[in-house]
Amino acid sequence: MKLQLIALLPLAGFLVNGLVGRRLGRAFVSLVGCGLPILSFALAVASFRELSAGGAPLVEIAYTWAAFGGQPFEIAFQFDRLSAVMTLIVTGIGSLIHVYSTGYMKDDPGYARYFAYLNLFLFFMLLLVLGKSLLVLFTGWEGVGLASYLLIGFWFEDADKARAGKKAFITNRVGDAGFLLGMFLLYEAVGTLDMQAINAAFASASPPAVSASLVGLLLFIGACGKSAQIPLHVWLPDAMAGPTPVSALIHAATMVTAGVYMTARLSPIYMLAPEASQAIAAVGAATAFFAATIAIAQTDIKKVLAYSTISQLGFMFVAIGVGAYGVAIFHLYTHAFFKACLFLGAGSVIHAMSGEQDVRKMGGLARRIPVTFATFAIATAAIAGIPPLAGFFSKDEILWFALSSAHGGSAVLFAVASLTALLTAFYMFRLLWLTFFGAPRMSKETAHHVHESPASMTGVLVLLAVGSAVGGFVSIPHYLEPMFALPPVKEGLDSLEKPVVYLSVAIALIGLAGAWHVFGDLRRAESMRTRFAAIYSVLAAKYYVDELYDTLLARPLTWISKHVFLDFGDRALLDGTLDGMARLARRTAGVLARVQTGQLQLYLLLALAGIVGALWWMSHV
Amino acid sequence: MDKTHLLVLVGGLLFSIGLAGVVVRRNALVMLMCMELMLNGVNLTLVSFAQRTGTTEGAVLVFLVFVVAGAEIAIAIPILLLLARARKTLDVQAYAELKG
Amino acid sequence: MIESALLYFFSAAAVGSSLAMLVVRHPMRVALALVAAMLSLAGIYALLGMHAIAVFQVLIYVGAVMVFMVYVIMLIDARDRAFSRFGKFLAPGGIGLVALAFVFGYALSGNEAPAAAAPARDFGVQPFSEAFLNEYWLYFELVSVLLVAAVVAAIAVVKIGSMRRG
Repeated sequence: MKLQLIALLPLAGFLVNGLVGRRLGRAFVSLVGCGLPILSFALAVASFRELSAGGAPLVEIAYTWAAFGGQPFEIAFQFDRLSAVMTLIVTGIGSLIHVYSTGYMKDDPGYARYFAYLNLFLFFMLLLVLGKSLLVLFTGWEGVGLASYLLIGFWFEDADKARAGKKAFITNRVGDAGFLLGMFLLYEAVGTLDMQAINAAFASASPPAVSASLVGLLLFIGACGKSAQIPLHVWLPDAMAGPTPVSALIHAATMVTAGVYMTARLSPIYMLAPEASQAIAAVGAATAFFAATIAIAQTDIKKVLAYSTISQLGFMFVAIGVGAYGVAIFHLYTHAFFKACLFLGAGSVIHAMSGEQDVRKMGGLARRIPVTFATFAIATAAIAGIPPLAGFFSKDEILWFALSSAHGGSAVLFAVASLTALLTAFYMFRLLWLTFFGAPRMSKETAHHVHESPASMTGVLVLLAVGSAVGGFVSIPHYLEPMFALPPVKEGLDSLEKPVVYLSVAIALIGLAGAWHVFGDLRRAESMRTRFAAIYSVLAAKYYVDELYDTLLARPLTWISKHVFLDFGDRALLDGTLDGMARLARRTAGVLARVQTGQLQLYLLLALAGIVGALWWMSHV
Repeated sequence: MDKTHLLVLVGGLLFSIGLAGVVVRRNALVMLMCMELMLNGVNLTLVSFAQRTGTTEGAVLVFLVFVVAGAEIAIAIPILLLLARARKTLDVQAYAELKG
Repeated sequence: MIESALLYFFSAAAVGSSLAMLVVRHPMRVALALVAAMLSLAGIYALLGMHAIAVFQVLIYVGAVMVFMVYVIMLIDARDRAFSRFGKFLAPGGIGLVALAFVFGYALSGNEAPAAAAPARDFGVQPFSEAFLNEYWLYFELVSVLLVAAVVAAIAVVKIGSMRRG
């Protein structure tokens, strides 16, 4: 019952807050909205202790949904080491973000709706990570997509924000098509959607007769959609239209990591599919580099963090691609801490700046909002990979395995990943500098209002900063080793392990120094920008990907919709047929009405013809 | 051919001529007279059959047809007169108002 | 012998005067042609031995109906030279006439029942009246009602006519 409760408590929160929350006031909504996730976290901790004591994964079967063919479709939950890590992250960081939201969304009229949607999201995310079969996982997958749409478009009166929500949902659906095809193939080959059975089948001596690479690629397409990899990454920057805690929870810590979780969970398939794994590594590396270059030129604080998320997810997929599944989960774990801290810190900055998000208008905030600054700085250092903060450990492992893994590691991969790490450090420290240092560039009005955030927000920031600092010492790959063995190292490269560590530290420090040099004095930044003006404009315009999609996909589809389906299909064909039938009836009636001339003699003539006919017929019968 | 056959043929012929006259002629009064001719044709047929079968019903029916024809003409002509007065002409082609 | 000759003669007269009705222009002449046809028919009835009917034919048809007709023609001067003899349907009507005549002939040319010995029945006035007023008295009464209705209708039409005229 415990596992089901972990998922169902947030669902209860959704129903209560959604139905009666508005009437019962903010205190009630906060209590229910934060209390239930905290309760879920407590239950998750209890389950974790039970797991550690017993050793075997906990399994709960809720009920059988359908039974036909071979195996029944069951709604079942499982709690093994991987699920434990994911569940603790989701409920733990989720609860913290809920608490933060009580401060951030204090003055919003849609308070109850917000907490209802946030709890709904938690419910679906927990279904996703606790599900034993792909069916439950996919339900959670779709559900978090729905919750994401609802939350991105939370302020739906603004048409742009609503459109951002739509974009997220539709892009996700494109990925889901691949996921579904993969699931169909798996069901046909293995006969069940139960992940334990699938993994067992693929790990056994006689794997199912289906191309593991094909299945792996199809499933990865689904992961691309959910985890914002090229070419389905376009929704994540737009998703920043939602409230900042939403960006922290959904688009940094948990939902976007679902793709990584899913591919890690189904690792036996990928171990049999070297082509698919290579593709994953390549896409991950390309995405990481691509997003990092764009982040250098962004001026909206949340957009920088969005592209940073895409980039870090690329890193996780690089790890998956070279077979280091445990390391990918490790990076997921550390990333959850520092990215959530960064996003919430950005929220605090935006709160202090009365809604301003453009870094060109910030500056000099370090002394005025010290707690935010401190936590933001710690998280920035973590993401840059400065030891001994959490990000250093996970990123170093990824770089090491990118170079040395016998399942696809290569120097090229390592070079791209290292370059991206350098860029990461550079643009993150750029953000830090532009936001918190230098002379204030804001209006007098805004400057007057700058203030530190309330305790509900800063407390969470402190907790997350602590996590970003010391979280790296929990060795997740080691913990997950019974499930995911670390990939073997290529021969002769053992000796390079220490040098790689030094290199990653050096990268982080070079990035820090570079950012300090360029952005410490803004005139130097300006002169650099004008020197590389062409490159800068391409980066600032995100490589024109959105415009490309618009021209290649959106406009032709709209054209087809309008001209083929609306004008031709609907108006000309369907309406035309109906109108045509009506016109035919009218014309026929018109022709037949010519009989009614009002002339008696015509009627009699017709009667005469009738008589002739009748007599003829009678006499012939 | 025997009597009855001939007379029935003549009766049919008179009927046809009467019907054709109604269709063909344009003057309203002439149309009425052709209708009388039709009635007469029918009467002739009735009489020839009555004479052949020898029953009294035939004669009675003929008499009834006479009476009805008389009553009919007594009404038809005044109506026609009113119509002609309204339209100021006896041309039946001017009376075509009930067209659809 | 003479009987059949007369029969043929009267039949031809009847058909001939009817055809004349079709083509003659002046309505008065049409009326006279109709009178001729009716008289021929009366002759035929007499030849068949139905004297009462023949008398009634002359009395009612010629004596009442046609007189009324002639009266009306003379009253309203129905010459009306404004329009031609024939309407729009001359050709179809002519074709129809021929067709109908042929169909009649064809339909009636089938089985000629043998001339059964017709019981010599007396169709004089007395037996006729007796039958009419004894067995068929119902129809007699109905017919009188019909005549009353006709009289009422005629008066009504006259009244409407005078109302119309103001």
